Amino acid sequence: MTRVSTMALALVLGAFAAHSAVADGEKIAVLTKNQTNPFFQAERVGAAKAAESMHASVLQYVPTQADSISEQLSQIDDVITKKADAIVIAPVDYKAIVPGIQKINAAKIPAVNVTDRSSGGDFVSFIGADDYTIAKKTAAALLKAIGGKGEVIVLEGVRGTATAQDRLRGFKEALAEFPDVRLVASQPANYQRLQAMQVMENLLQANPNVAGVLAANDTMAIGAMDALSEAGSKALITGINGSKEAIDAIKSGKMLASGDYNGFVQGCVGAMIALRYLRHEEVPKQVTQPTVVITKDNLAPYDVPLDGRQCPSWDQVPKS
Amino acid sequence: MIRVPGLNRLPPEATRVAMRLAALLVLGVLLSALSSAFLSTVNLMNVLRQAALLFFMSSGLTLVVLTAGLDLSIGATIALGACVAGTVIKNADSAWLGAATALGIGGAVGLLNGMMVSLLRIPAFIATYGMLWVLQGLAYTYMAGNTVYGFPSGFRQLGNGYLLHVPTPVIVMAALLAIGTVFAQRTVWGQQIVMIGANPVAARLSGVPVKRRLILVYVLSGLAAGFAALVYLARLNSAEADIGSSLTLPAIAAVLIGGASLFGGVGTLAGTFIGALILTLVLNGMNLLHVDGNWQPLVTGVIIVAAVWLDLQGQRTRS
Repeated sequence: MTRVSTMALALVLGAFAAHSAVADGEKIAVLTKNQTNPFFQAERVGAAKAAESMHASVLQYVPTQADSISEQLSQIDDVITKKADAIVIAPVDYKAIVPGIQKINAAKIPAVNVTDRSSGGDFVSFIGADDYTIAKKTAAALLKAIGGKGEVIVLEGVRGTATAQDRLRGFKEALAEFPDVRLVASQPANYQRLQAMQVMENLLQANPNVAGVLAANDTMAIGAMDALSEAGSKALITGINGSKEAIDAIKSGKMLASGDYNGFVQGCVGAMIALRYLRHEEVPKQVTQPTVVITKDNLAPYDVPLDGRQCPSWDQVPKS
Repeated sequence: MIRVPGLNRLPPEATRVAMRLAALLVLGVLLSALSSAFLSTVNLMNVLRQAALLFFMSSGLTLVVLTAGLDLSIGATIALGACVAGTVIKNADSAWLGAATALGIGGAVGLLNGMMVSLLRIPAFIATYGMLWVLQGLAYTYMAGNTVYGFPSGFRQLGNGYLLHVPTPVIVMAALLAIGTVFAQRTVWGQQIVMIGANPVAARLSGVPVKRRLILVYVLSGLAAGFAALVYLARLNSAEADIGSSLTLPAIAAVLIGGASLFGGVGTLAGTFIGALILTLVLNGMNLLHVDGNWQPLVTGVIIVAAVWLDLQGQRTRS
């Protein structure tokens, strides 16, 4: 009995251990934040595709418990022990990761920072999109679409996280540019679908005339969308992430737009920069992803499964 | 058939449920004074429907807590159950097969939990906590970061539908509450479950099949979680691997606010129902009153502790 359960446990844990793709050339360790957010899945696929096309391989590291900083720190130890040639990392916690980055620096493994900017340590380069700008542009699209007037509700992410703070700031900045729009409620739904649906159901009782809903991610937007349609509300809604579900909802007209972060391209560029650096080719210190608000008019390139997507060529990468 | 001695020495459950009902009413009156939107049929139906999902999770858990046990794997069971059942409903195009999958996963998880607790004598906290990790891992691996969504409208009736203007989940909740109350308080098995928590030694000596009853409560808790997974799917029209983590603690809170004791032997499904309603009302009220997000967890925490403290005060006064 005990042996069987130990074996079962080993199998389960084994499924999470680093799995490598065999190829010639360099080995890059790719550390992402969780298994649950499709964004990081896209980032992993992007990194793997770029590495494959440059004849290198990737080792994927994902915390078994979503967003666990302690796991990510011990994964860094593992990367150092396994002597990966370079590391591409999306830090779970931009402050707590710093001692880990210092260890990587001490081991002389080049590190590329993607998605969330680490507050310390030495990096070859940072590739990210800025939450504030994405939120502001997405919100502006919604506020224009509702005619620049009426009541608006904001669904916030997890309080205290950098993404939630920056997105909220972006929303508020856009709202400030539309003086005839009234922000009637700004409530947290913690990036969760069920909470977004229930919070929206509740808010619609106090604010039945809402004209637009700004959700800090797609999951919440879609949860809120169902509550709105059930209440017969015609309010427009936007999310952030450009998830497949959101693309489908935009295509069918249920959602207005989604701010795009493009995890796939971030993964591509992260791996490309790491490899170029190892091959003594020129690399930019920073790459800021162009911000795109996906609407009905420009969704075609996003309506493609991950495996069918292509990494941009090096010439297409913005070098600033 | 075994007669269970000692049952009539338990505190009068009815009084305690009535006390909770009074607390619920006070909260309701307070909210209707503070917000004009509170006391509308639609809002109250929303609250009941939101509470229903919480009640499905906490119903089986109440029986587990009655035996002085705990089930921390509920949220992860829902996550895995909803993800696998959701995929089955989409791929096999059969809501019934999906329902069987969710209940099957819930039942199997419960059986394993029950065997770990009763046969291997692993403390319930540890056994179900370990199970949480295993199930979460399976759900992550199974979904690989994807979301399953878009179910047939017939299946969605379970979460979205109405019967005579009452939401379907609310009707199911009422039925489950009635059946569960009769089971826990009017059947020999139910009384044996209470007795295992109240006095395990006496239960064993008087011939209660402790191990089998323990397995039973964990299986029922797993089945309840499996059913909650189905309601979740039907209501939200989608599932992803990380939906469980935010569900377990509110389910435990509903049981405790409802007056069940973690030391076992004390608790009712009616109490848990009221506990689920109180928790849901607090969130509803905070949304209606636009309470700032920073304060919401604090308010919830204070209300949980206050509810249990008031209950303890009440018991001391009565005894």
